[in-house]
Amino acid sequence: MDIGIIIAGLLTLAIFSFLYRDNPVYKMAESLLIGVSIGYFLVITWDNTLRANLFDPLFTGGEIDLLIPFGLGLLMFGRFSSKTSALSRIPIAVLIGSGAGVAIPAMLGARTLAQMSATVQPLLTESGWLNVSGLVVLVGVLCTLAYFYFSREHQGTLGRVAKTGTWFLMIFFGTTFGYTVMSRMSTLIGRVEFLLSDFLKLTN
Amino acid sequence: MKQLQQRHYVFIGLALVVIVTMLLPYRPEIVPSAETRRMHEYIDSLPEGSVLLISFDHEASSLPEIKPLALALLRHAFSKRLKLIGIALLPEGTGVGYGLMREAAREYDMSYGEDFVYLGFRPQYVAAILSMGESIPETFPEDYLGQAYDQLPMLNGIENYDDLACVISVADGSLTTHWVEYGHARYRVKVSAFVAASMVTTYDPYLASGQIYAMVSGLRGAAEYEKLIGIGGSGARGMLAQTSMHLYVILMIIIGNLIYFRQKQRGRG
Repeated sequence: MDIGIIIAGLLTLAIFSFLYRDNPVYKMAESLLIGVSIGYFLVITWDNTLRANLFDPLFTGGEIDLLIPFGLGLLMFGRFSSKTSALSRIPIAVLIGSGAGVAIPAMLGARTLAQMSATVQPLLTESGWLNVSGLVVLVGVLCTLAYFYFSREHQGTLGRVAKTGTWFLMIFFGTTFGYTVMSRMSTLIGRVEFLLSDFLKLTN
Repeated sequence: MKQLQQRHYVFIGLALVVIVTMLLPYRPEIVPSAETRRMHEYIDSLPEGSVLLISFDHEASSLPEIKPLALALLRHAFSKRLKLIGIALLPEGTGVGYGLMREAAREYDMSYGEDFVYLGFRPQYVAAILSMGESIPETFPEDYLGQAYDQLPMLNGIENYDDLACVISVADGSLTTHWVEYGHARYRVKVSAFVAASMVTTYDPYLASGQIYAMVSGLRGAAEYEKLIGIGGSGARGMLAQTSMHLYVILMIIIGNLIYFRQKQRGRG
């Protein structure tokens, strides 16, 4: 049997042992995961990014404009000393400024305007039937927005609409939780399948 | 040895349900959903040689759920002789994505550099997505194996999203949102998704608005896709186990509530 499969199988069992109680075998597997993840991240970042996108083009390809991001990156190391920590504010400011500049219009467009446009649908279908789905979306959005309207006390009509909004929210949370449980079960099924077929060879 | 507690019996029950159902040869009938069919029909409609960019936007921990989804997609795409470019926007997904592409490529005798390439990981996903919209070769001057972009025959003439049929994000988190916000909204590239079930409610609004073209989700989505392409895989194998586990959880909820209300009644008495 492949040594990788043996190690993966034993580590899966080690992690499952936590279901009984915390134990050294589980701790060892958990620490190994963290260590390997960090090591892998460092290697990938160095080889796939720093070397390929910065050091090779800068020092071998002569792309001197890369000195700017390189210099900004170096300033981040200023945080290691209290005397130089202020220097790290420069790259952070560049990151936040450019990040916000890029993100705000993109989010307004994709998350707000496009979603608003999708919310407002014709209430009748092409064949003349009531567009129930569109109506539910519209009512759901309006009621949920009413729930988050805090400038007036939730009484009377506003109270009833806001209460309906909480029902829509509860349905959303329930659905999301249900899907999350389903997702975790799929993960368990995947590991059990691995143990039964690859590790123990009980199934094909 | 520490005495078994109530939760241990629940875990043992769950383990038995999964193991027994996984060993049974029975496979439940699967009816593909409209969303899965839409994705399948789209890939099916692409002419041979069309280029898909598959972004492995997930971590290694979600591999058991992501693997059946990704393999179903890759098998379909390779069977249609589409050209595939793989990338990763999370470091942990880098090796996983490469391994999955190699596995599917072997099955269809596809060769690296001509039928598929793997460009690897780029940090700062927003910057990476935007940068690819301007120039893929400048974003990825080398592939995952260290070969120069212009040395890979498949990549000749592929400059940016205009040269791709679609971007497909294989995700376990919210990274597909960034493909929608930056890739689709700014560069109008078609975005589709193969996602973990936990992300369905996050992406449903984007699917309804047409910002995501098609979405296949969770182990069930994988099973549906496997049925559509006529290849059995982990999705179909896991369906009986998943259904049984759902029934088991519902049973536990009912029992738990019965115990709770009985204790409450006794307390009043």
